Amino acid sequence: MGRMKKIFRDYWLIVLTGLVIGAAAVALTALGNPKNMGFCIACFLRDGAGALGLHSAAVVQYVRPEIIGLVLGSMIIAMIKREWRPMGGSSPMTRFILGVIVMVGALIFLGCPLRMVIRIGGGDLNALVGLAGFVVGILIGVLPLKKGFTLKRAYRQSRVEGLIFPIILVIMCLAWLIKPDLFNSSTEGPGSMRANYFIALGIAIIVGALCQRSRLCMAGGVRDAVMFKDFRLISGFIAIIVAVLLGNLIVSGGVAFGFAEQPIAHSDGLFNFLGMVMVGWGSVLLGGCPLRQLILAGEGNSDSAITVAGFVTGAAISHNFGLASSGTGIGAGPVVAAVIVGVVALGLISIFNIAKGEQ
Amino acid sequence: MNGYVATFYTHLSAITSKRALDKVISGAALAPVPRKLSSSCGTCLIYEANEPLLNLLDEDVEGVYLVNGDGYIKLLERE
Repeated sequence: MGRMKKIFRDYWLIVLTGLVIGAAAVALTALGNPKNMGFCIACFLRDGAGALGLHSAAVVQYVRPEIIGLVLGSMIIAMIKREWRPMGGSSPMTRFILGVIVMVGALIFLGCPLRMVIRIGGGDLNALVGLAGFVVGILIGVLPLKKGFTLKRAYRQSRVEGLIFPIILVIMCLAWLIKPDLFNSSTEGPGSMRANYFIALGIAIIVGALCQRSRLCMAGGVRDAVMFKDFRLISGFIAIIVAVLLGNLIVSGGVAFGFAEQPIAHSDGLFNFLGMVMVGWGSVLLGGCPLRQLILAGEGNSDSAITVAGFVTGAAISHNFGLASSGTGIGAGPVVAAVIVGVVALGLISIFNIAKGEQ
Repeated sequence: MNGYVATFYTHLSAITSKRALDKVISGAALAPVPRKLSSSCGTCLIYEANEPLLNLLDEDVEGVYLVNGDGYIKLLERE
């Protein structure tokens, strides 16, 4: 096989997925989603937590159809391709806690790794500081992996176990459409900025299906590049930045590069860095970034569904205890203590899950 | 010599299997799982040998495949 043919075979789907995600993010922003937040798994799960009343930050409450669409898109294509496999039982409580820590870190930075690259494409240089933290976090997380870290294997589960999570999301979606006043709903702030429900749902289903087929993963991209010198996953990561940059140039006519006055972002470099260290480190231990956890949950993986429950809980903790940042800076709560506790917990989880005989 | 790919339920299992294979063959390498073989974003073991050396692989092996041109022939699948 020719070299070019092999490169095309290895990279076309992941690059296409990245380009579609980037274009979708720009389109969703143009259609009403918050700036530089066409897609953000952390922000949108946080909005969902607010809609359910798990926190009372009035500006971030909405049942985001993008979350439901990503999971359904993954589930549908996995079923069609015979890859839908209910699996679970791999250290669920540890995964739940890792989910909490990753979300606390993401809300200190103000975005998951997906929004981080969307912010970079939007000219927000604070996200480059976040990227540096994300890479450092992944490098730290790779060390225990090489030393024999394991959350133990997952086992085949019942169909019901694999379906519960998508069913909950479908019920939330229908409940929102039939009786929206059941939920808290933002009237101002990011939670009130919304693309059309059905268009957002449709776009997310397509993106979810592409992510399932291509295995796109932000943390996996950096991990594979570092551990195996394999650049397939990271090429999707780069494609998102390129697509968002081009999309913003076309839609907005320009990109304002800088640190100050960026949409839904703060310029406290230390905490942008530390927040994403927590996200990178936790994501490597989990085996995937928040986007990837949603896609795996759609494939029937209940460990990932538990992790998403950890994300939602982390969002509630972040807002209820003043840990979440805002456009004006880091939260008014014990953010330093939260970072210390998060990093210590990541360290303990990393060390105590190294298999016996491997230390 | 044949080419083989083994997939695992855990990263540790891949490392342990590589260590066992390294005692009898050279060139076994860890790599990301090919997209065709698994939807996981985990680690696989790629090696060349006269036989698949199943007895040397860790018990948490998920599947073993014979490389056949651009495709793979499944030799073993474990739940």
